[in-house]
Amino acid sequence: MDVSHLFREMEAGTPVRVVLLSEASEDELGGISEIMGIGLSTEEMSRIRTHFISEGRDPTDVELEALGQAWSEHCCYKSSKYFMKRSFIGIKAPQTVIEGEDAGVVEFDDEHVYCVGLESHNHPSAIGPYGGSATGVGGIIRDVLCMGAQPIAVIDPLFFGPLDTPAEEVPEGINHPRFIYSGVVAGIRDYGNRIGIPTVAGMVNFHPGYTGNPLVNVGCVGIGRKENVIHSRVGGPGEVYILAGGRTGRDGIHGVTFASADLSAESEEKDRGSVQLGDPITKEPLIHSCLEANEKGLLRGMKDLGGGGLSCVSGEMALDGGAGAVIHLDRVPLKEEGLAPWEIWVSESQERMMVSVAPENVDAVLHMFRKWDVEAVVIGEVVEGKRVKALWHGRTILDLDLEFFTAGPEYCRIFESRKVDRDIPDPGIGPLPREKLEDALLSILSSPNICSKEDVFRVYDHEVRGRTVIKPYAGMPFSPGPSDAAVIKPLEDSYKGIVITADVNPYFCELDPYRGTLSAMEESVRNLVSTGAYPHSVTDCLNFGNPEKPDRLGDFERACTAIGEFARHFTLPVVSGNVSLYNESEIGKVPPTPTIMMVGLIDDIRSATTPDLKEKGNIIYLVGRTRNEMGGTAFFRYMGVECSCVPDVDLELSGKCMDAILEMNGEGLLFSVHDLSEGGLAAAISEMCIGGGLGADINIRRVGSMSEDEGEPMDVNEKLFSESNSRYLIEVPPQYALKVEDCLSRKGAPYTKLGTVLGDSLRITDGETILMDVPVSDLDYAWRNGLRKLMEGS
Amino acid sequence: MKADEVKVCVLRMEGTNCEQETFDAFRRLGADPEFVHLKQLEGRDTLAGENRSLDDYQILMFPGGFSAGDYVRAGAIFAARMKASSGRDLARFIDEGKAVGGFCNGFQIMVELGILPAFDSAMSEHPEAVLHANDSGRFECRPTLLKHVNRGKCAWTGKLEENEIRLIPSAHAEGKFMLPAERERGLYERLFDEDRIVFRYSDPSGDVEAPYPYNPNGSKFNIAGITNDGGNVFGLMPHPERVFFRNTHPDWYRRRVGPEEGDGRKIFESVLEYVMKRF
Repeated sequence: MDVSHLFREMEAGTPVRVVLLSEASEDELGGISEIMGIGLSTEEMSRIRTHFISEGRDPTDVELEALGQAWSEHCCYKSSKYFMKRSFIGIKAPQTVIEGEDAGVVEFDDEHVYCVGLESHNHPSAIGPYGGSATGVGGIIRDVLCMGAQPIAVIDPLFFGPLDTPAEEVPEGINHPRFIYSGVVAGIRDYGNRIGIPTVAGMVNFHPGYTGNPLVNVGCVGIGRKENVIHSRVGGPGEVYILAGGRTGRDGIHGVTFASADLSAESEEKDRGSVQLGDPITKEPLIHSCLEANEKGLLRGMKDLGGGGLSCVSGEMALDGGAGAVIHLDRVPLKEEGLAPWEIWVSESQERMMVSVAPENVDAVLHMFRKWDVEAVVIGEVVEGKRVKALWHGRTILDLDLEFFTAGPEYCRIFESRKVDRDIPDPGIGPLPREKLEDALLSILSSPNICSKEDVFRVYDHEVRGRTVIKPYAGMPFSPGPSDAAVIKPLEDSYKGIVITADVNPYFCELDPYRGTLSAMEESVRNLVSTGAYPHSVTDCLNFGNPEKPDRLGDFERACTAIGEFARHFTLPVVSGNVSLYNESEIGKVPPTPTIMMVGLIDDIRSATTPDLKEKGNIIYLVGRTRNEMGGTAFFRYMGVECSCVPDVDLELSGKCMDAILEMNGEGLLFSVHDLSEGGLAAAISEMCIGGGLGADINIRRVGSMSEDEGEPMDVNEKLFSESNSRYLIEVPPQYALKVEDCLSRKGAPYTKLGTVLGDSLRITDGETILMDVPVSDLDYAWRNGLRKLMEGS
Repeated sequence: MKADEVKVCVLRMEGTNCEQETFDAFRRLGADPEFVHLKQLEGRDTLAGENRSLDDYQILMFPGGFSAGDYVRAGAIFAARMKASSGRDLARFIDEGKAVGGFCNGFQIMVELGILPAFDSAMSEHPEAVLHANDSGRFECRPTLLKHVNRGKCAWTGKLEENEIRLIPSAHAEGKFMLPAERERGLYERLFDEDRIVFRYSDPSGDVEAPYPYNPNGSKFNIAGITNDGGNVFGLMPHPERVFFRNTHPDWYRRRVGPEEGDGRKIFESVLEYVMKRF
């Protein structure tokens, strides 16, 4: 459609066009949105037209671009907000200090807070894996920084298609998972390492559903003094806006609109310019200078320029501070000459921060930035009123009512929540002979989602800042096993620790988004509790498909409900989060992926526990209840059995087990703790053996028959490989056995005594029958080399 | 001197990022560390009172990180700027017997500056060695065991026993210590003969020829750290500042009881003791 007649030059010499919405037909409104690439629906365009008619004029292209960005799914959560408000936003918890700004702020101790944020950088990472993931790290660090907190840890849950996907199964225009995986890891490595913030945890998950659309979620935790917490808003009229950091360029134009549409064959070509470029060596001094200026009390407000650029930031900061703003666009330092004013206004170039400063402090702040060789310029003023204006050499080219500008549409679109079949089919597997069981265990240990991710975490500096107490691995220094969560000791004069984990099992969520999400919450809790920490706050990154399709939105609704139910039950505030929709390509949607990042606290890091077995002769117990709910488990996937009965969560039981483990650990009774997740009991005990370089002899006869309400006895496969939630393995010295059993009984946590730490092989029996007996070195080899073998293609 | 009189210059520029833990190590021992930006030595963009001179300090630290991004050779830009503005001051600082140390990127900077190995003067005109890309071709963040092989020259390890093994973690992409191929043999002999090798990568049994992953980068003779002829200048690829306390060791939780002291602490104690005795 030709809509060129609806664009008119504003005036000679000003590179701005007026868009004649008042003269456009309905069809032409859609055409304008399309040709400008702003992703607004005809209905939204029509609302904008009505608004401008009431102002008695037509908008400029700068104004339309600004609205396209502010009203994108990415910026205003128009499809998702309704469900989140209904489910989990605003759960009252005493520890919450700030919820709903760039990052959540939560009380750490009497004098300190911690900040958490988690974001997706999915579409940029699909097109440019290296730059996309690097700027993902950069973005989330800025979110934490702009609350006045020192970033202390980066966490990155990553989701890719299988590395051995045949090339012909990768949709046209989409990069191969192997390319994306390598690029993403390298991007996080080069950016995270250079800015000196340790990458301490995360996950690497593979599922065919991510082949067309990988997910790159990046989280950050920071620490700050309470009095240094700064809001993402101005103090009031009269203040000055200073833009600091990187220069503004054409990278990242339309980034948020690109994030709010499905990926297509043309994305690679068309949307390359939407991917921002990161520069860690601008970022690193930017962190220093912003924190230093803030500590000296020189700043009134601070906000990072992320998705939405200058446009969103200057408006939102002013409005939230009850004021308006005037921005001189011609003063913005540029990477290259010739950017149109609208490009400067909406560019999402990286490493930029906006600070609002009282006039008397401007010189001091500019000096602070200059000292660090960070470019900073005064670009505007905070004014009375509720409008934001942008000027180009004195000429007004944007003049928007802030309420209208920032109050994007909110939809309750049609959704269909699916019914999940909880019938348990006969898997038709039967008892497996010893060699088949051993094979199953070794295959599961070396499978991509369970095997060691050492090749990933060793290229991330997880120890810089010298405060990483529990690292991504645990056990013998040169042959460690996995750890359940990372522990950071953030303060010099306190042993209190921050414990961080991130989790979700896409296989469960794919089959049952509700129980899958509950499982993600419960597994995160288990990871913290296993480490000795009590869960303290939740941050989520909800990665789903196109919300305009009712089944996708139905999955989203189920996940939100699950988060809400779980968080309310345990009074866990959801302090910040991110929604990423439109994760689809021509081969379909990604599995519903509600990534949960949870932060726990531990009063004394010296009481933290790890999964690696510590000492021969110690007793091993299984805590929790094992059920026949094998849907989506690693074992059923290995055997090719389809079943949608995924593990459920019993909130009461979850709480009892959690309390018991925390109490026993607090008393120093537990030498090691590991939660049971993918691969069930068999994988968990193997990982404990690997980390400790020690064997174990366990009998599983009584597993699953520990409670009176349990009917049928479970078969061996279920006992070994069930992934029921709320379960832990604990290692207890014999002299503490009575105390431990007493505590578990008192708390109402079911338990089974399994056996002892012994020898150098893992021997599992069921009554008198030997199920398997595998040398720990074989377990170690299978687990440690799984990913390496896939990458080498052997 | 008393400990609290010992002034430590923790020098930084953009991309330096192990300065806080380096600073903390000295402060915990009662010394008086200060963050100094390279521009404060250069006198560029500074206000009155912000300029600093190396003469004000007894210890100069080059912390780890990625100075200027390490987009050229690691440490090259930091070194070039330092040499241009304070090269002479630095040579004098060394000749006076004051202590200079650098870990990881700091060691790379010192090699680029020519203050290590510094075969013939306090500061060579051109770099005489290189810290080359790891044999594995990638960044390696992993525990490493260091055997202290110095026989007494190095001021930074005076409180360590000869041949004792300490766990000091590594985190670098370019740490393979190399000397010019054509003169290699003689130069290595000099390093050994003159007691200039301080630490060698080792396995738990003390074998200093142990391969990867014990030797994380492929350094010849498993060399991890060296000193100059005077013993007051010391560069090391691994990070002692990260193991000042036991609780950042990779396996502290495997022993229920034990010291709180980490394996890196003695290095800072040693240099502090050296300075306190000498000045």
